[in-house]
Amino acid sequence: MSSPLPPEVPTPVEASAGVGETYTSTTEPAHGPEEGGGLPQFEFQHWGGQIIYLLFLFVVLYLLMAKVFAPRLRRVFEEREATISGAIASARQVQAEAAGQAEAAKAEVEQARAQSRATAAAAKARVTEAANARAAEEEAVVAARIAEAEGQIAKTRDAAMTNVATIAADTASAMVERLTGTSVKPAEAAAVKGA
Amino acid sequence: MADPIYQFEIVKIVDLPDVTVPGLGVVDLAITNSHVAMTIAFGLVVLLMTLVTARAKVVPGRLQAAGETLFGMIDNLTQSIIGHDGRKYFPFVFTIFMLILGMNLLGMFLTFTATAQLAVTATFALLTFGLVLAIGFAKNGFKFFLLFWPTGAPLVMRPIVGFIEFIAFMLRPLTLALRLFGNMLGGHVALKVFAGFVVSLGALAAGGGLGLLGLPAAALSLGMVLGLTALEFLVAFLQAFVFAVLTCIYLNDVVNLGEGH
Repeated sequence: MSSPLPPEVPTPVEASAGVGETYTSTTEPAHGPEEGGGLPQFEFQHWGGQIIYLLFLFVVLYLLMAKVFAPRLRRVFEEREATISGAIASARQVQAEAAGQAEAAKAEVEQARAQSRATAAAAKARVTEAANARAAEEEAVVAARIAEAEGQIAKTRDAAMTNVATIAADTASAMVERLTGTSVKPAEAAAVKGA
Repeated sequence: MADPIYQFEIVKIVDLPDVTVPGLGVVDLAITNSHVAMTIAFGLVVLLMTLVTARAKVVPGRLQAAGETLFGMIDNLTQSIIGHDGRKYFPFVFTIFMLILGMNLLGMFLTFTATAQLAVTATFALLTFGLVLAIGFAKNGFKFFLLFWPTGAPLVMRPIVGFIEFIAFMLRPLTLALRLFGNMLGGHVALKVFAGFVVSLGALAAGGGLGLLGLPAAALSLGMVLGLTALEFLVAFLQAFVFAVLTCIYLNDVVNLGEGH
């Protein structure tokens, strides 16, 4: 079991031997042959420095992330969310308003239409009534004149009819006089009238 | 020159005196190429996060969108795996993720890969393991050991299964460290080997005669290097992500102990 735990590793004295050294027999000889002649990664004298430095970097970056970067981005996210939801809410409100206005306009139009229809109907009724009244009036006038004219015609006809009798008597007496050479007595002429 | 192992050699750049840390023994504080690589990766992560968050706007720019993608990915990870408490552990997981990702990717550009050092991966693994242990005992006290008590198994089998669970638990830091280490080591060795083929076969072809047969093989090796480079970029990201996922899963074990384990 090769535990990667650091504490056992930092190697002793040869660390000072420097760059050139390759695979000096370290405190862990088990690794040497096992790894096929030694990867540089298993030179444990370099572990301590790397681990401590990496831990230092990690702590610094963690603090930066936790205290600076993450809060900044979260703030932006929240702001964005608020902006978006605010915009959506206002858009909804505007839409509702518009729908209300459209409804109102529609009702108004409906009302106006009904009103105009009523007005038209009333006007039509009034006009019809007036026309009917005038027609009746004129008809009465015309009827009166017709009646008057008829009366006059009758009178004229009667007068004509009386004249016809006289003319017939005259004609008859004239004819008799021409044919017979004798004058007709008025009594005889009246008899013709009766025939 | 073509030794594919040479790239993992630790080289001292500034030699500093050894320090004896009580309890740890002698620690060589020399600044090595590993320290430099870790520092550059750390600096790049800090720089990226600073640029992303310094003038963070509600409507993100390109860089901020990229940073938010990484952030959101780990944020979703912690919340979906650990649950409601996940946000508390987000900085830890994100720090580990970004450091590993930075070191992995930096290894694609430098001659030295910090995460191909077992010391580095073991440190990450032990950090995670240590946090899991600390939270396990802090939150659950001695009920922490219920983690190894399989209530689903028949009574007779429980001690045996529990023992196996315990071994598996203790092996977690080892597998965490070796997975990352092995992936980075293997990838970079393969890259170096194929790149070395290109050079040595090219040199053979330069000699003329029968050596000209080396040319197509060299071309093939170059193609392999290209393909492997693309693959290594994927692996660099994937291994950082896998490490983060496993950290979340291990944390979930102890944070939500006894809740439908």
